[in-house]
Amino acid sequence: MGISRRSFIKASAITGAAAAGVAANKPILTAFSEAENQNKTAESGKWVGSTCQGCTSWCAVQVYVENGRAIKVRGNPNSKANHGKICPRPHLAIQQLYDPDRIKVPMKRTNPEKGRDVDPKFVPISWEEAIDTITDKMMELRNNHETHKFALFRGRYTGAADVFYKALPTIFGSPNNISHSAICAEAEKLGPFVTEAYWDYRDYDLEHTRYMLMWSTDPVASNRQVPHAISMFGKVLDQAKVAVIDPRLSSTASKADEWLPVVPGQDGALISAIAHVMLKEGLWYKEFIGDFIEGENLFANGGVVDEKSFKENKTYGLVKWWNLELKDRTPEWAADLAGVPTEQIYRVARDFAEAAPRAISWLAPGSAMQVRGGYNSMGAHALNALVGSIENIGGTNRGEKVPMGSIPELDAYMDEIASKGKKYEKIDQRGRIQFPVFAKGKLHGGVVTNNVADAILNEDPYDLKMAIGYWNNFVFSCTGAQRWEKAMEKLPFYVHITVNPAEMTQYADIVLPANHQLFERWGVQKSKQNMTAYMSILQPSVEPLWDTKTDETEVAWLIAESLAKKGFTNLYDYYKNEFKDPETGQKPNDEKEFDLFVTKFLSRDVWDPSAEKKGDQINSWEEFVELGVWNTKRIGYKKHWDEGFDTATTKFEFYSETLKGFLDEHAKGHNTTIDKVMEAMKYEARGDRAFIPHYEEPVRHGDEKEFPLIFSEHRSRLNREGRSANTTWYQEFKDADPGDEKWDDVLKINPVDCKKYGVKSGDRIRVTSVQGSIEVSVKEWEGTRPGVAIKCYGQGHWAYGSIATMDYQKKMPRGGNNNEILPCDYEHISGSTARHGGIARIKIEKL
Amino acid sequence: MAKYGMVIDLHKCVGCSGCSIACKNENNVDTGMFWSHYFHETKGTFPNVNYQYVPTLCNHCEDAACVRVCPTGAMYKDENGLTLHDPDKCIGCKSCYQACPYGAINFNKNKPHRRWEENAAIIEGGTATGKEVQERTGQELPYYNADRAFTYEGIRSKGIVEKCTFCDHRVKDGLKPYCVESCPADARTFGDLDDPNSEINKVLAEYSSRVLKPDKGTKPRVFYVRG
Repeated sequence: MGISRRSFIKASAITGAAAAGVAANKPILTAFSEAENQNKTAESGKWVGSTCQGCTSWCAVQVYVENGRAIKVRGNPNSKANHGKICPRPHLAIQQLYDPDRIKVPMKRTNPEKGRDVDPKFVPISWEEAIDTITDKMMELRNNHETHKFALFRGRYTGAADVFYKALPTIFGSPNNISHSAICAEAEKLGPFVTEAYWDYRDYDLEHTRYMLMWSTDPVASNRQVPHAISMFGKVLDQAKVAVIDPRLSSTASKADEWLPVVPGQDGALISAIAHVMLKEGLWYKEFIGDFIEGENLFANGGVVDEKSFKENKTYGLVKWWNLELKDRTPEWAADLAGVPTEQIYRVARDFAEAAPRAISWLAPGSAMQVRGGYNSMGAHALNALVGSIENIGGTNRGEKVPMGSIPELDAYMDEIASKGKKYEKIDQRGRIQFPVFAKGKLHGGVVTNNVADAILNEDPYDLKMAIGYWNNFVFSCTGAQRWEKAMEKLPFYVHITVNPAEMTQYADIVLPANHQLFERWGVQKSKQNMTAYMSILQPSVEPLWDTKTDETEVAWLIAESLAKKGFTNLYDYYKNEFKDPETGQKPNDEKEFDLFVTKFLSRDVWDPSAEKKGDQINSWEEFVELGVWNTKRIGYKKHWDEGFDTATTKFEFYSETLKGFLDEHAKGHNTTIDKVMEAMKYEARGDRAFIPHYEEPVRHGDEKEFPLIFSEHRSRLNREGRSANTTWYQEFKDADPGDEKWDDVLKINPVDCKKYGVKSGDRIRVTSVQGSIEVSVKEWEGTRPGVAIKCYGQGHWAYGSIATMDYQKKMPRGGNNNEILPCDYEHISGSTARHGGIARIKIEKL
Repeated sequence: MAKYGMVIDLHKCVGCSGCSIACKNENNVDTGMFWSHYFHETKGTFPNVNYQYVPTLCNHCEDAACVRVCPTGAMYKDENGLTLHDPDKCIGCKSCYQACPYGAINFNKNKPHRRWEENAAIIEGGTATGKEVQERTGQELPYYNADRAFTYEGIRSKGIVEKCTFCDHRVKDGLKPYCVESCPADARTFGDLDDPNSEINKVLAEYSSRVLKPDKGTKPRVFYVRG
């Protein structure tokens, strides 16, 4: 091989010309010199550790840096979780970093009128002016004793979030730190919580599994440990059966042994039928569950069973579950509801049981984030108990503890105004009768993100006057998106901290440009995959390209400093006194030191030589920075089989005394009954059925006659949580999502229905629900269940940049945002936004 | 001297497109052009539907049609069996582009990466422009990978063709082609078909393999197994 002299000269000439063309302003980085490059070998630059936050897998990655430029991203080989692998998303981050549409300086609005079609007339301002304007507004609230009318909105975040998200509102005096968690996947955590008192996503032992039952789970494309799942999938297919329940032929379904194309929202029928078969045929895993005292399987008769006849081992309430729900839930009953053949349900149930305990029932938002999806979450996880795969080989497990530090106590820094302000009801109305929203083992501990729009509009519990939002875009990412447009028009003062101008920026009074998380800031994050939990670093691999700052630390510091100058010093004192460099004891002097010290402070236990570590032995901050990741030991099996679970009964609860306890406490707080609470939450179950996994009819908005098709949405393997659509690579490879098209946003409709409604691939249509209308293209696609229309989330940005938005000046979206046709509704127990399960019916009209 | 080839295991491949995105990144390939790509097919009717995704790239054919038809010798086979392209000899006649049975050759109709030359900001004074990103990075393409220029034009100019080189700039230094390196499924194996102990020959010995469009008689050196 080698390099021909002529092509070498030509290459130099081209780069030279480019450099000359841009010589008007001196480049901040030394222009690459071809001559110096001649003797170099490939990839002789540096790989710098960081973390990808393009989905919630939060993989440890490395950035390839040469001459101060980030060029490409790979998996961090030091990680035992994603072990050097990445999915497509981190590649797209490179184009986000160098996105020409990034905000480069702070801006202020000069047009007081707000609206989707109103030009904010932003003008650039200095950081000083921006922060000064923000703290003027904050001081006004403090002086008027209205600090509770301030809110901090959080979208995605790092491990440093609480420094900003918790500390600032608390010390300032507001109860309103509103995270996006409830539009993400909180209902998914509900099942493991009410059955075994574990509030988190789960890990899965893919290496040893023999059956995977995937409840709308699509891990080779999206949501949970994507690169690990991709890397293992060939082996999984070799040694296990995979069954995917999904109305859409997803990426994972296309590789699976079984596809159960469920009618959206009818997942619960399949869960109950599978459990029915397992009990009736005596296929439960006796070591975990226990058995009939006399040995004979009394479930076989199909009737009510005496609870006393069964001795449970590690579980509680199996017979109650049978008597209250399962005894009549035959596959014959489920087949019509779910639209899945009876034989297939029997086959899947038997094969799943046969693989026990190496069988996984893997839950994802598609089955859980439904109005009545809480019990799907509970039921799908109960199937894991039936096969004894809870913390078992080839099954589902928890994560080892990652010793991430917490922010220091805040109480001492709260003055009287703060203490008073903090006591007001939170703006999201959590705790009201329809919103028990317990999370992390705490009643009312969750958030009802999407309800904030209505709260603002109705001024209930009060008129919110000011909000700061970071790394979020609720106007785009929340269902019933039009409500957010109206709410943001009404909100008197909004500060948006963001990398790209986004839909929510349209309503901002002050816009602060943020560093890109993967390349331009410090931070830490923790996650788990491959049975290993880890802490991964975020670090600046390149200098910020523009006049940007880190949301959670630098902006927080600047606000605190400015408030201090105006006489309110508590926040500044807290930041200054409590976040010393753990190595030197030095206090931070500016925002940059604060950013670094916070990161060192929170990660201390994984790198401090004196800290005991149950995992990798790292002995200095420098070593942690160099490695980029700290891994726990691989998690062991059956920990809670021996110790017992943290539930009310210490058992795995099919009949959840834990759930009952929370609902009872909530009902008592409202002087009412659990049945009334169930009614307020739109659940059908009354009495004891509220505490067991059970089938409920799905909620659909829209009359079938007017809106004949059931709408179903899914995620893209290229979505960086709705933030990557402004990259050309996203658009050019959009057809890597099965059924989708490059540079377009298609409604995937079965050819049978296309004929019925007189449309064909490529036609432009208006899609209308009770919520609103969007305009997209048609795709005839056999991978869609007839009667259902499916579209990916991610396109339809009307104000995101010159690629994501067809015409930014005219606010003309590329495609349509699903959240403009999905009405706002909830899985109320967790406060989750219910976007799945066919919540919206639609009609289509050819344009 | 080697005879390089690649095997793609379609059972392991999950169709993520990571290879193709990484290829663009590594080789400074402009929008609309694909050195690494894929085709996909959906067969059957609901609910018996089969979706298959097949990654594609230059097959580095033993009897390469593109080499046969090139009037100037710009398209050539090197001593390691790679089908390579010399931009200096290329006159942009597109004979190769038309002759390749696989659509693996791209033509630079325009000056590449013009997005970065744009001067208009979506928010005047508040957001950047392509041109400003060029100025800040000192590069025609902000994430320009200089390694590419070891063996080929770093960015190919208007009026000539370009195609996959099996990342000869990496292979010369003992690295794998970037699509192989970046595949999270480890679906790709690259190596010397002449070396009986190479990984690629192990995979080819274990599974029956096929090539795309064998009837074209070009003897491709990209093989597919298990699918």
